[in-house]
Amino acid sequence: MQRSKEESMFDTSKIGQSFSPFTIEVERGKIHELALAIGDDNPIYHSQEAAQAAGYKDVPLSPTGPTTFGFWGNPGRGKELVDAGINVMRILHGEEEYEYLSPIYPGDILTGVTTIISGKHRQGRDGSSMDIVTTETRYTNQNNQQVLSTRSTIVVRE
Amino acid sequence: MTTNTQTPTKLYFEDVQVGDEIPKLVKEPITHLRLVRYAGASGDFNPLHTDHRIGEMIGTGGIIAHGMLIMGFVGQLLSDYVGPAALRKFDVRFKGMTRLDDVITCTGTITEKYEENGEGRIAGKVQATDQNGDVKVAGTFVATLPHKE
Repeated sequence: MQRSKEESMFDTSKIGQSFSPFTIEVERGKIHELALAIGDDNPIYHSQEAAQAAGYKDVPLSPTGPTTFGFWGNPGRGKELVDAGINVMRILHGEEEYEYLSPIYPGDILTGVTTIISGKHRQGRDGSSMDIVTTETRYTNQNNQQVLSTRSTIVVRE
Repeated sequence: MTTNTQTPTKLYFEDVQVGDEIPKLVKEPITHLRLVRYAGASGDFNPLHTDHRIGEMIGTGGIIAHGMLIMGFVGQLLSDYVGPAALRKFDVRFKGMTRLDDVITCTGTITEKYEENGEGRIAGKVQATDQNGDVKVAGTFVATLPHKE
């Protein structure tokens, strides 16, 4: 039992490891769809005309729009986490952080590189244990300009 | 879809004072349909957000909402307040699970005003709470605001 538990734990030797870069094209339809799902009916997210009337070059990315880049742009992420010893069925989201460095608009081609920046085991008072793992993803656009940096902390209950 | 109206009024650095409250945003009760939609839109298909059997199996008890949906609600609060292009930083900590029928209210307060890189900036605290006042998400943000002529 003890052994299989060890095996399911996050492998701390993976700290500092970067995964393969992934690319994603920013799409107007995807921005619209995410805003609909959140229930944000601000017309700037749903119509290019409305966005331009409000002074934007095109439909802008909503504050949490980057979440779609990680999931849709990097469908292999689940496997990468499994390979790092993380049980994806037991993940809870702990923290999320965005640093918006330059404007992002539809048509931009972004390249993201995700790095595991920290990871630790923690023992709960009830004897349960958990892993706390933070990844950072840095995005550059087609002009090699840094546009976005995201950090995500997940808690994996063993 | 929300109880506050979007104000297209442009916000200037001079309009904001430390201690100001951001106009609150009250969202409709969380429905299963909203979570299915959010799964599709975000690409987060972890079944614990859409299949109640998974929640029962892993001990979270029924369906829990995507934390990122709740952060999305707080993002809407900030988007309504300063606009998405003004944000420089936005971070949250997920403090509690959100379940079906919960009514989420997003609020925020301005904590700082300063100049950086020739820009007027404001920083603040934001949070999302449910109908019982339980905090689901708490975080901070930094935004840049234009100066009045």
